[in-house]
Amino acid sequence: MRFADILRLCMQNLSRRKSRTVLTVLGVIVGCCSIVIMVSLGAGLTEQNKAMLKQMGDLTLINVYSQGSAGNAMMGGGSGSGSESGEGAKLDDAAVDSMKQIPGVVGASPQMPLNYAVRMSVDNGRYYTDYGIIEAVDMTQLSNMGYEILQGEKPTKPGEVLAGQYFAYQFMDKYRPEGSNYRQQPFDMGDGTVMQCDASGNCEAVPADQVEGAFFDQLGAEVTVSIDTGDGTASASGVSGGSSGASVAGATGSPDTGSSGTPAANTLELKVTGTLKEDYPKGSSTSSGLLMDLNQLKEFIAKADRSAKKTTTYDTALVKVADISQVADVEQQIRDMGFGTNSSEQTRKSLEEQSRIIQLVLGGIGAVSLLVAAIGITNTMVMSVTERTREIGIMKALGCYVRDIRIMFLGEAGFIGLLGGVIGCLISALVSLGINLLALGGVSGTNIWHAIVGGEDVSRVSVIPWWLYLFAIAFSTAIGVISGFQPANKAVRIPALDAIRNAQ
Amino acid sequence: MPMERPIIEVRHLRKEYPAADETVVALDGIDLAIPRGQICCVYGESGSGKSTLLNQLAGMEKPTRGGVRIGGTVISRLDERELAAFRQRHLGFVFQSYNLLPNLTAVENVAMPLMFRGVPKTQREKAARGMLRRVGLGKRLNHYPTQMSGGQQQRVGIARAFVARPQVVFADEPTGNLDSKTKIDVMEMIVSFARALDQTIVLVTHDDNMAAYADRVVTLLDGRIIDDRPVAAVPASTQGASR
Repeated sequence: MRFADILRLCMQNLSRRKSRTVLTVLGVIVGCCSIVIMVSLGAGLTEQNKAMLKQMGDLTLINVYSQGSAGNAMMGGGSGSGSESGEGAKLDDAAVDSMKQIPGVVGASPQMPLNYAVRMSVDNGRYYTDYGIIEAVDMTQLSNMGYEILQGEKPTKPGEVLAGQYFAYQFMDKYRPEGSNYRQQPFDMGDGTVMQCDASGNCEAVPADQVEGAFFDQLGAEVTVSIDTGDGTASASGVSGGSSGASVAGATGSPDTGSSGTPAANTLELKVTGTLKEDYPKGSSTSSGLLMDLNQLKEFIAKADRSAKKTTTYDTALVKVADISQVADVEQQIRDMGFGTNSSEQTRKSLEEQSRIIQLVLGGIGAVSLLVAAIGITNTMVMSVTERTREIGIMKALGCYVRDIRIMFLGEAGFIGLLGGVIGCLISALVSLGINLLALGGVSGTNIWHAIVGGEDVSRVSVIPWWLYLFAIAFSTAIGVISGFQPANKAVRIPALDAIRNAQ
Repeated sequence: MPMERPIIEVRHLRKEYPAADETVVALDGIDLAIPRGQICCVYGESGSGKSTLLNQLAGMEKPTRGGVRIGGTVISRLDERELAAFRQRHLGFVFQSYNLLPNLTAVENVAMPLMFRGVPKTQREKAARGMLRRVGLGKRLNHYPTQMSGGQQQRVGIARAFVARPQVVFADEPTGNLDSKTKIDVMEMIVSFARALDQTIVLVTHDDNMAAYADRVVTLLDGRIIDDRPVAAVPASTQGASR
């Protein structure tokens, strides 16, 4: 028989028993929908994770720490011996240089914080903070490391620094009354809005361009920094954060160090030339602190704190890798050098793993209903074979090949699966659209666009990748054909004789 | 009778069915030769084994012993696929209960044997329409079986049996469900088709009126041929057949 004829017979048989076909197809639709929607929820989770990771900052940055300092403190117990490899390897300039040689590494720099109580003031002491943060990296590596400058430019002269995105929000205004003398730093929600809270803790999400700014413009601001070196010769402004009230009673009233007298050895005048984009893995200097050049910071410490040793080793370093796929490999090599590492890679991996498991579980739940649908198809086809025993006998008696009869039944079952799959996918697309619109809050042109194709700052609840449609349709069809096997075999075993026997 | 080899040859055919305790012998040593172009009536009461013989002739069942040769092919040796191909090319069937496919129109039903052979739709339906006009159903080409009377359905069945120009047509009680007027129409139609194309007909019936249309009547009883005689050329309307 010609294939077209077999297909025509299939269609005639299916349309002859319309209600049964429709009900069976309905079962497949439900099964297909449940798989697609379940998997799409899993895929949505993945998309949300991605958005979350994006907010977590640079995914290709590795934080390196020397064993025994941060992280694995316990492991550093026996690390005084100065052995070149293994635990307790020295994180010095030479080590950082050798990290730069690792294939895939595009930039590396030591990272050094100013480990003192840091007081900063701006505008002749009007704006001040006692909890200043200063970190230093090798400024020559700045662009290699992926530091993003939002405004201004990178420092070129000594005394020039970069400020974190929300640096200015760290300052209090001494001329404003208690309670309104500082502004909360806004929080970027990642969807184009920014969460901003007032001093009393009431928060609301506002568009990014309506954020209430800090008291002063940090770009170009001249910051006076002073540190408490703990040797008792601190200047009047050398207030240690959180010290007891009695001893600092006089000091807090006159935070004007920068304006009067010659600069003490423990003060530093800095000028902000640029604003950095907040990026957590690169340290808090990118959000609320200042980032300065490593050598300048070393000089300042040497000058300000005579008791301090010359800095040759660092607690932490930053290594930037070209591509996310190389992160794990580079991390391993750095660990082999005897250092501890940290990156978003582990988080990303575990998130990915987690969403894969959730996806599997959800898909499995969906698969159960498709299994039920498969049983429905088998049932329908078995019924159909029983009903058509006589017809099959006639066809065989008239010389129809057994193969053609089998193909006819498999075709009918497969078509039920195919139809259910296609309709199921269409319905799933609508349901997915509905869920996303609900999550995005209402129907509008852009929302519909975002709900279907997504967008830069959009994380959808339900994501149906194109391959899922193909897979669902192919899978439904396959389920249909598989369900048809047993009935088809039953059909071809019907002896031609039965057709004639009925005549007696 | 010409010296040409008979189109149907049956040799020592035996068919047993297993029953509860014993085996039932349905056919017991049948020997039969039917020459080309003959209209052979296999006559017998129910239980005589005539239907079993027809099944054997058409290759529906395997014999216990002996065999059937049609046009030189031993059909009991064919496998399922070869048998289907053989049926497509050489055999036609007319059934008592018409056995039309209910979801196909008259044209589609008639075209079915050609469809199994892989004849394209336009070609086979043209042939089917021609056959239907010849059986007088030119106005019912696209009717479904349920929209037709028994006689009309059987005429569709006859058109289907002859559309592929088979060498042999098996007719199993073709008039069993019809009234006497229609019976005559149907039988005359079968006979005229067969005569026109020199086709061989094996007609199985227990109606001795119908036996009158045959060239020869083979009578079965208990699985054996008890009588085999030619029919004199007498008008169909008179009682020509005898036991």
